Amino acid sequence: MATEAPLTESRPKPNPAGPAIVAIAAWIVPGLGHLLLRRWGRALGFFLTTGGLALAGFALRGEIFSPHSSDSFGALGFVADLGSGIFYFLSRFLETAGPDISRAAGDYGTRLIAASGIVNLLGVIDAFGIARGWRG
Amino acid sequence: MFGAHIHLSHFGAMVIFALLVSIAFACIGRHTAATRVKYALLSFLLFLAIGLGVAWLMYPLSR
Repeated sequence: MATEAPLTESRPKPNPAGPAIVAIAAWIVPGLGHLLLRRWGRALGFFLTTGGLALAGFALRGEIFSPHSSDSFGALGFVADLGSGIFYFLSRFLETAGPDISRAAGDYGTRLIAASGIVNLLGVIDAFGIARGWRG
Repeated sequence: MFGAHIHLSHFGAMVIFALLVSIAFACIGRHTAATRVKYALLSFLLFLAIGLGVAWLMYPLSR
């Protein structure tokens, strides 16, 4: 019978921060929720992937949706963008030239920024589940 | 970033998306480093293969 490979991340000790605190931390700074749970690999993974997608989207001059969008697509885009936490709040400093969706690259950038937020929201759910003991 | 601009083809953007999302999926779905690498690699290759497959299926519509 094959032995199971050792875990790279030890099971967290009882977490002093509540699940809600962990979820909020994970949203504001991608990976911070997992860091509070001592899940180093996941923390690094979520920070790099969320940040990488957001920065690539900004470099491609993707559109960042505002909370005052007039249509449902814009509202959904805002929710997706907001999911990336600090990268959304810093977007005006990181994308100084503003969006340019007249080019295809700008349109790709819009999708990458939205994907960044969705990936981080998955991380928020994962961190919340770990803090509640639902996930290993 | 900080005003820097890059120009990517559709394929280049898809590669960046596939790579980073595959790593995120591996972080969620697997617990050990070795299984994460395997999962991320498989997911990345599937993203590319399915993306290229769908592109070729749509190719006649573009003509």
